[in-house]
Formats: sequence, structure tokens, C-alpha cells
Amino acid sequence: MTSPLRTRVLILAALLAVAFGAVVSKLATLQIVRRAELAGLAERQYSRTISLQALRGPIVDRRGAPLAMSAATESLFAQPRAVGDPVRAAARLAPVLGMPEAEVHALLTVPKTFVWLKRRLPPAVADQVRALREPGLGFVADALRLYPNRELAAHVIGFEGADGGLEGVERAWDKDLGGTPGRAVVGRDALGREVVTQQVIQKPSPGHGVMLTLDTTMQYIAEREIDAAYRRTGSKAAMAVVMDPKTGDVLAVAIRPTFNPNTFAEARQDEIRNRAVTDPFEPGSTFKIIMAAAALEEGVVKPDDRIFGENGSITIARTTIRDWKKQGWMTFAEVLQQSSNVGSIKVGMAIGKETYHRYMTGFGFGAVTGVGLAGESRGLLREPGRWSALSLPTMSIGQEISVTALQMVSAFSAIANGGVLMQPRLVRATFDAEGRQTAAIGPRALRRVISEPTARTLMRLMVQIVDHGTGHAAAIAGYEVGGKTGTAQKMDPATKRYSHAPGVLSFIGVAPADDPRFVMLVMLDEPKNEKWGSEAAAPIFSSIGREILRYLEVAPRDAQPVQLTESLGGAMRAPQAPPLRAQTESVPPASPDPGVMPDVRGKPLRQALATLAALRADVELEGHGLVVQQVPAAGAPLAADAPIRLTLARGGSSEASHASGRAGAFEWSEARERAGASAPGARESR
Amino acid sequence: MPRKLAPDVWLFAVAIVLLSTGVVMVYSASAIVAADRFRDPYFFLKRQVFWAALGCGALWLALRTDYRRLEKLVLPLLALSVVLLIFVLIPGLGVSVNGSRRWLRLGPLSFQPAELAKLALVVYLAAFLARRRDDMHDLQRGFLPPLAVGGVLASLVLLQPDLGNAVTLLVLTVGLLFLAGARVSWLGMLTIPAVPLAALAVWMAPYRMRRVFAFLDPWQDPRGSGFQIIQSWLAFGSGGVFGRGIGESKQKLFYLPEAHTDFIFAIVGEELGFLGASVVVLLFAALIWRGLRIGLRASEPFGAYLALGITVLVATQTLVNLGVVTGMLPTKGLPLPFLSFGGSALLVTMLATGVLLNISQDVHV
Repeated sequence: MTSPLRTRVLILAALLAVAFGAVVSKLATLQIVRRAELAGLAERQYSRTISLQALRGPIVDRRGAPLAMSAATESLFAQPRAVGDPVRAAARLAPVLGMPEAEVHALLTVPKTFVWLKRRLPPAVADQVRALREPGLGFVADALRLYPNRELAAHVIGFEGADGGLEGVERAWDKDLGGTPGRAVVGRDALGREVVTQQVIQKPSPGHGVMLTLDTTMQYIAEREIDAAYRRTGSKAAMAVVMDPKTGDVLAVAIRPTFNPNTFAEARQDEIRNRAVTDPFEPGSTFKIIMAAAALEEGVVKPDDRIFGENGSITIARTTIRDWKKQGWMTFAEVLQQSSNVGSIKVGMAIGKETYHRYMTGFGFGAVTGVGLAGESRGLLREPGRWSALSLPTMSIGQEISVTALQMVSAFSAIANGGVLMQPRLVRATFDAEGRQTAAIGPRALRRVISEPTARTLMRLMVQIVDHGTGHAAAIAGYEVGGKTGTAQKMDPATKRYSHAPGVLSFIGVAPADDPRFVMLVMLDEPKNEKWGSEAAAPIFSSIGREILRYLEVAPRDAQPVQLTESLGGAMRAPQAPPLRAQTESVPPASPDPGVMPDVRGKPLRQALATLAALRADVELEGHGLVVQQVPAAGAPLAADAPIRLTLARGGSSEASHASGRAGAFEWSEARERAGASAPGARESR
Repeated sequence: MPRKLAPDVWLFAVAIVLLSTGVVMVYSASAIVAADRFRDPYFFLKRQVFWAALGCGALWLALRTDYRRLEKLVLPLLALSVVLLIFVLIPGLGVSVNGSRRWLRLGPLSFQPAELAKLALVVYLAAFLARRRDDMHDLQRGFLPPLAVGGVLASLVLLQPDLGNAVTLLVLTVGLLFLAGARVSWLGMLTIPAVPLAALAVWMAPYRMRRVFAFLDPWQDPRGSGFQIIQSWLAFGSGGVFGRGIGESKQKLFYLPEAHTDFIFAIVGEELGFLGASVVVLLFAALIWRGLRIGLRASEPFGAYLALGITVLVATQTLVNLGVVTGMLPTKGLPLPFLSFGGSALLVTMLATGVLLNISQDVHV
């Protein structure tokens, strides 16, 4: 060929060589130099890390009965870019989810790669959604927190929201209960579709269970009585706090008004508040026992010392304080029996500011008890340096000081415990998912406040108050009860003077006096109904106390051993590993015929437990979902202590096949309404 | 003068390796998309294998047919190309995909007239330049006629619109004129009207504007116009030196659009790494080197220009595609010869390779 062509071809070849070289160098830049940067960006778009919720640990009472538990549900999400036909999908999903079609459609068309459609669907509904086989939908295991006993001990248990515990033990023990969420990477393609199965990076570790010191039975008794009293007296609030003085165990905390933790979003703040620790009140006359403890221990007075009652009034710093009844000479024991203000003030002034203050702080007033609940109040106890001339006398009769119910019960427990103050205890143990104990919190003595003889003397004096004095309404037939009434006018915040309106009526007592099993404070806040008078709290103490003693199988001291007609499961047992069986002792929503097994087939767990609650039988559970099998059969008589066995399955099968599909969903939603479970949406909104 | 030599074995080997690589990569890149779109992971593989087989037949046919007979087919080929290029513009006849009418449907198969036009232009230019190679310094007799033919074909292709192939046709024309000895100053003057023409083309179709800007800085609009080039880069970066391994690409999972067609080289880079991608680039370089060598050693001018024309055609398409996929050139739809999915392009490439091999048998020494 001609030479010019060869030259031109060589020029072209050189140009092409340069071009190919440029391509290779560009490849080197992309694949070697910028490798890490580009590969990292690529990895980010392939995977979405989702959080795998850990199953929250249960809260059980001191015998293992469930107070809060988590039921397996699934949350439905959509990846809008992958949804095939949003109109059709919305039309099919809306009736299953019970949501307006427009709302579903709106969610399916949001310009995001991931959106929650509905949280915490029951398994039956989730299965229905799966059966639709619509593209772009997915599920993540999620759990629904259930409070099977509804209002029972709601203030102590608290509740859990979307982001963990919000109140009560649920909040205070959130770290233990919550467990550790796991993480999974979901591979996805550019359309947001999952193309790789979930790769679990870290398995969720389930939360620990928390065993409370509460006793469901005592709690139930206390709540029943407090609820009745609350309605009867039209009080602004009512409560009973029960403590085991020897251990400091909080056995029951009954508070009205109350709320259903399943529907906490609908509750008002004043219903949710655990007044036993958050609301200090002026104790009034019950506090004279604290004054007496200081006076007796300091030797300022002896029970039989005679004190002049000044005919019912005493004037200090131009303020006159009167007794409800004119008194002449009386012993110190009689001062307490008659709850004489004049007598108490005279003794109290003899104790002295500093000494009295030392005893009050010794009993735990002015400081949080450290029971471990959020929002606990210290109450009000000023330093002696800031006291006025009137402070010592008024504090002697329980004014110018404010205390919480728990502080008060704790202080009286110290007296009942031979003078040693115990650390109030609400949680006795935590346990893992297999039921093994992971931590034990034993009883802890804080300090000796008064000597044992002084404590014995005080117990005797308190018994006399019930036997002969103002506390007679608190008596429990067959048992020695000690205690003290209290009435306090409330300080009107506007006038800074004590109002004449009924204030806080309370009774705090111990039983049995010779071997105290419980200390209980009963308090009515601003009762409207005057006819119950200043002693309205004492009879409530009596009726709760009577049942508690019977439940604890404490033998009456002056009677033949009584054959109890009803066994409630024996006395408080020693701490034990929480059983995996669910015991149902709860406020029954309905009262089925006792002794006959009702038909709970086809019902969801919570509804079934609610139905069985009144039977007070042990229930053994197996599986999740709806009840498909029950032993004994419906209508069969119930044996005294044979447990009830329930087998549950998703969607329902065998005997309950009629309850599958839509019926299952219906029953679930019905159960939610009955148990008052909150709508997931409502939970989310908080 | 030996009449027949063995065909260029190197060229043949390189072509077959590239074709095989293409079949494997088309399957790897398209399986999931195909399963998703057509419920058949082998949808594209089947078609590619069919076209590859057809292409091998075309290669064999071209190898066994004396290339000189093509010289007589210049006018029919050009005429057929123009007719088909006009046909494809007619709604109803041309199949519209993504706003472009590029395909003619023949039963179950579709065919791109632009591919035939490229072949026809190569044959025409070879014949013309072989006859008038001494008139290259004559503007009217030597320089303008090829430009006119190339320009008409390119304009028709541009109407589809198919900028990639239009540019290819023009580059082919200019390239062969250059090789034939046309004055460089005349060729340089061609760029003067090219500027406003390019501006006009961009103005007529605004998406081209976006593509141009996307190529300059794809991160400005990573979800829009810069999406494809960024996804391509991510594929190369993920591949690293050694690659993820064949079939392991993640970018093909709906991230990288056109993963099995125009952007298949990015999947090659991701699955086979820098080493694999470089080998593929070197294979193309080798193919082009063999092509140029055949052109220089051809026994007579028509064969020389035909071989060079085919080589320039393949080189242009290869480099434009590689430039686009690696982000050095603005994005335009141009398949990678041998590798990209696409029936008529592959068929024409194989046919052209057969012609090259046929010319290689007949060298003058």
C-alpha cells in the first residue's frame, strides 16, 4: 500500500492507543483509587438496617402472676416504590386493616422507600394481609404490651409506650425489661424491594422479667375496698398502701382515680399519677405517733405521765390551737387515744426542735424513700433553723410538714419492726427469659430509729387507740390491731390559712400487733360526703385488714383455729423462681359461673384470661394466637386445684376453625375494645 | 502471489472470546430483571444466544464469500438503508421505545435500520475511496460526496432520534476520509458547522442537555440525570481489582439501568474487577490492532478501505461506549460491540468481522 495511508493509519492507531489508555486509567481510578469510597456508597444503597424489637420482659407479682406481658404481633410496612397498584392494594388492604381506604392509599403512595402501614397487628390479621400477596408489603415482628388485669396495680406497673416504659415499674425498670434490640440488614434493590432474606447481624436479646413485691390478691382486696370507698365518699382521691414491716416489701398500692394501662393514651394525668409517692400531704394526727416515738425514746415522757389538757385550747405565738373535745388531766396514753392536740403540743415542745427534727429525718421524712419509682416526692420538712415559733408545736400534731403515703407507711413499719427502718422494696428479683433469676434484691435494714422497748411501747399505745380511743372503727375482730387516725385541714393556697373544708382523712395501722404482718395507710383526699366524719378511713382499714389476715392465714389470737372455707393459695411463699404458668387473679370483667369451665375456644389470649380470671385457677399456656383447645372442656366442672390448659395457635385451627380469617380479626378487635387496648395509632402519637 | 491464506486466527479468536463473554455477561446482568419483568430469567439469554448463533452464521457466510462482491452491492445497500431509515420513522412501522423510533419489527424479532446503515456506509466509503483515492484533494470529486452520503444517513438516524449512531456515522465518514488522505485543514473546517449543529440538537431535545450536564457532574442530580453514571461508577468501585465474581453483581439488581445493554461493561467491571475489565479493553484493542493490520496488508484498495472502515466503525462504537460507561463522555445510547444485548447490532458486528476475516485471507505480499 501507499506510504501516505500507512502514515495516516499509524496516526489513527496512536490516537486509538491514547483513547484505550485513557479508558484503562479511568478504570484504575474507579476500581483501585476510589474503590473504598464508591463501594461504601454502593453498600449503603443495598441494605437497610432494621431494628429487631426485643421481646419485653414480663412484670409479675411476688408469686409469679403476670401483671404485664408482651404478646407477639407483627407490624406491617410498605415500600411504596415496590407496590404494584396502590389503588387496588389500598382497596384490598383497607377492610382487613380496618382503616379508611383513602388513608391506606395515601400511605402507599408517599414518596419514601419505607413507611409503616399499621403497627402491632394480631397474627390472624397479619396472615390475612399475607394472603393478599400484594407486592411491596412486609412484616416486622413487634410486640403488644398487655396488662391482663387492667386497672389492677396500674399506678405501680405503669405502662409502656412505643419507645419503652413511660410510667411506673415499666419506666423505672425499663433497662431490664426492654432487653437489647437486635439488628438485621435487609438487602434491597433499587426499587426498594427486598431481594435477600433478612440477615440478622445481632439477635435481639429478650428483656428480663421483673418480680414485684406486690401480692395480686392483697392488691385486689385493697383496690376493691378503696374503689368502693372512693365512690361512696365522693373523695377527690383515695388510696391504701400496704407494707410488710419486717422486709419493707410493698404488698399493695391501691389508688383511685385510676386508669387502664392498656389504654393509657386516653387516661388523664391525674388518673395516671402514683399519688402514693408523688403527692405529699399534711399527715395531721397520725404524725403524733412519730412525735410520741421521739418523746418516749428521749425519755421526755412516759405513757403514764399525766398532762393537763388546758380545757381544750392552747395559745402559742398568738395562735390558738383547739382540741375537738375539752380535756382536763390525762395520761400520755390518753393524749394519744383522744388525739389531744394540746397534750401532744406540750410533749412535742418538750422534745425540742433539733431532737424532733433528728427523729423525723431518722424515720425517713424529708427524703425520698428510694423505692425506685420516678417522680417520687421528698415531702416537706424544713431545717430547724428555718422554723418559726409555731413550727415545733404544729409539727407535733402533724402540721407544717408534708409526707408521702409511702414515707408514712415506711416510718410506721419501722415501729412495727422493733424500731428498725427497712428500705421500702418494690422489686424483689429479676429473671431471664428461661425463668432463671438474674438478680435478687433482698430486704435491707436502713437504720435503727428507736429502741426495741420504745417500739414495743408504741405498739401498745397504738393498740389502746384502737381498743379505747379514736381508732375503734379500725378494729378487726379476733386480732390485735394498733393504729392512729388522722385528719388534716388543707392549707388554702390562696389565703395560706387552713381551710374548714374536709381535708385529708387517714388511718394508719398495724396488725396483728404482737407479730405485725402488715402496716397499712388508708387515705381519703377531700371526701365530699360528710356523714362518714373524721374517721371514715378506719373502717376501710378494718375491712381490707380482715381479708388480708385471712388470706395470710394468720390465726386469730383468742379463738379456736378457724377452718378457712376458701383457700387462696396459701400464705406468702418464700421467694421462688417465677413459674412459667400464668396465674390469673385479677379483676374479672365478667363473672362466669364459678366451678364450671367456660368455653374460651376461638378467643384471643387476653380475652380468655379475662374470662378465666374470676375462677382463680392456674392457667397453663401453650402457643400463640387464638385458643384452639382447652382442658377441661366447656361446661365441665372444675377441680379444686387442677390447672386449666389452653392451647393457642395462629389464625385458629381444629376445633376453632370457624374462628379463622375475618372472625379471628373481629374477635381480636372486640377483645381489644373490652380490654381497652389502645389503638396502635394512639400509641404512636404519644 | 499466494491466492488464499488462512484467515487471521487472532482476530477470530478475539472475536469469539468477546462474543462468549458477552453471552455470559448478558445472562448474568439480565437474569433477575428478566425474571422480574418476563417471569423468565433466560429471556434475554435465549435471544442473545439466538442472535449470536445467527451472527456466527453471518460471520461464516461473509468469510466464505469474496468481499469484492460487496462492491457491486453499494447502491442497493445504500438504497435499502435509506428506505428502512425512512420506514422506521413512520408511526406504526417503527417501534417506539423510550420516545425513540429505532426498531422495525419482523415477526418476533426487531431490527435496527441504523445498524444496516453503518454497514452500507462502510461499504460505500470503501468503494468510493478505492476508486477516487487520487481525487482526495478535489473538493467536489473526492471530498464532498462521501460527506453528503454520510450526512444524509446521519440526519435520518438523528430524526429517530439516535444521536449515538448519528455521531458514529459521521465519525466513520470523517475517519475514513482522513485515512484516505483528505486534507486535515478541510476536515478541521467541518467542526465549524458541527458546533451550531450540536447546539441545535441539544436544544431540540432538552434531555440531551441534562445528559451533558450529568456527565460533567453527576452528583448534582444523583437521583435524576446523574443516576445512571453514578450507578455505573458504583458498579466499577464495588468490583475493585478482582471483582465480586461472576454473577455476584448487585448493581444489576435494578440499580443500574440498561445493565445488560449499553452499560454491560459496568457489570463486567463489577463482577470481574479491574483485571477482568482491563482484559476486555485489551481484547478490543487487539481486535482493532488486527483490523488495522489487515487493512494495511490488503491486496487492493477496496479491501484495504473496507477493512479500515470496519475497524474504525468497531473502534468508534467501542470507545464511545467505554467512554460513556466510565463517565468520560456524555451518556448516549450506543451498545458495546460483541458484549451488549441487542440483536441487529450483534448480527452486523459479526457480519463485519466475517468480512474482515475474508479480507485477511487475501493479503498482498
